[in-house]
Amino acid sequence: MPKNITIFTTNTCAYCGMVKKWLGAKGMNYEEVNLDEHPDRQKEAMELSGQLTVPVTVVTKQDDSREVIVGYNLGKLAPAVA
Amino acid sequence: MTEVDVQKPVVYGEKWCSFCRALQELLDSLGVVYEYKDVGREDNKAEMLKRTGGHFLVPTFVIGETVIQNPSVEKVKELVDMPEAKEETTSDRETHDAVMIGAGPAALSAAIYTTREEIETVLYEKGVIGGLAAITDWVDNYPGFPKGLSGMDLSEGLRQQAERFGADIRLGEVTKIEDEGEYKKLTTTDGEVYAKAVLIATGSDYKRLGIPGEDTYYGRGVHFCATCDGAFYKDKRLVVVGGGNSAAQEAVFLTRFATKIDMLVRSDKLRASEILQQELEKNSDKITVHLNTTTDEIVGDGTSVNKLIGTDKESGKQVEFETDGVFVFIGLKPNTGFLQGSAIELDKIGMIKTNHELETSMPGVFCAGDVRSGATMQIASATGEGATAALMIRKYLEEHERKHTS
Repeated sequence: MPKNITIFTTNTCAYCGMVKKWLGAKGMNYEEVNLDEHPDRQKEAMELSGQLTVPVTVVTKQDDSREVIVGYNLGKLAPAVA
Repeated sequence: MTEVDVQKPVVYGEKWCSFCRALQELLDSLGVVYEYKDVGREDNKAEMLKRTGGHFLVPTFVIGETVIQNPSVEKVKELVDMPEAKEETTSDRETHDAVMIGAGPAALSAAIYTTREEIETVLYEKGVIGGLAAITDWVDNYPGFPKGLSGMDLSEGLRQQAERFGADIRLGEVTKIEDEGEYKKLTTTDGEVYAKAVLIATGSDYKRLGIPGEDTYYGRGVHFCATCDGAFYKDKRLVVVGGGNSAAQEAVFLTRFATKIDMLVRSDKLRASEILQQELEKNSDKITVHLNTTTDEIVGDGTSVNKLIGTDKESGKQVEFETDGVFVFIGLKPNTGFLQGSAIELDKIGMIKTNHELETSMPGVFCAGDVRSGATMQIASATGEGATAALMIRKYLEEHERKHTS
């Protein structure tokens, strides 16, 4: 179980909804940063992912190591939160 | 007692007996269906002693005519390989009446029909529930919504309606389909499942340009989803590539963020509908359409995009567009990669061939929506085909039942 999970999203992004839905189905809590509501945090999402896209999911593990998953990618998301 | 019950293997055991537990675990792992009888109960103990001729030793394993006490692993494996045991094993497989591959408008509509008629239905979605419709900003031509609606709302409505009648939507991918007669075997990311009938509704995805710079700046200057990535271009310049409905619709959506949009169209006219062309016209303060213009190269400084190079086909001259990002909507390609080498017939461009009942070349496997050969790439067509496919599936299952019960 990770220590915490943050997802950068926008209002119109359907893939963001899928990441939230998938984590929700796994019973996992996450913090959501909506970039439409907090445009000031776009830079942060860009720096974390190296890309101009959402969703960006940041998984902080128990040992404080961090994994950044770009997009709705179950192949990467599933092992990251395991 | 029916004959089948007599045939079912029995394990006589006792709670404290670890060998009994080991035997049970072994049988479970082999997928053998058996009955466990605790000899702590007098009636079970008496039954066991009658079968063993008075020998009290657990575990006692009874399979067919054979009674064996504390058997070895090898012996158990040998014994369960009997035909009646095999039959029990196959009934342990995960089977469904209908499995739908994809959960876009076609599959969700089909699932509304099948589940409402109590045909048990599972859907596999590897991407977004709602498919391409879900990532489309605005859908203006879906019948019954006079003001239009967002693609996300339409998808969510379809999902809720399918789930209301019991559709089981799973987040996973189907990688292979094999015809095993009565059942089709589907290989998924979560293991194998078997279905009496299958609907392929995997839809299509946006085509890529295949030009220099596209891969280099993918996700950081080159994008295929305006609703996902548009917000990063507030007060920036953009290029939209394409002249069809998607390109026009998404260009209009991007005016929310961008200050200036150059729309590059390869042919001499827009393919977008008249009404969308009017929308482009209304936004002509921000959107400039360049007809007869090819897209040749995306140029950047290594981290972000700053220019697009194209060719004006009329003059043959190179043209350059300063831009911060490029959104590409140049058409669709069918999601049929997983069918390469399968028995399901595709047309020249990789779309799935069906007959007039929407059945593919593999009996019991149907197809609807964008991925079907001859599709019109409209959400309304996809939902309509989904409904038709569901009725064909029902008919197939009914005929199939009759064949197997007569």
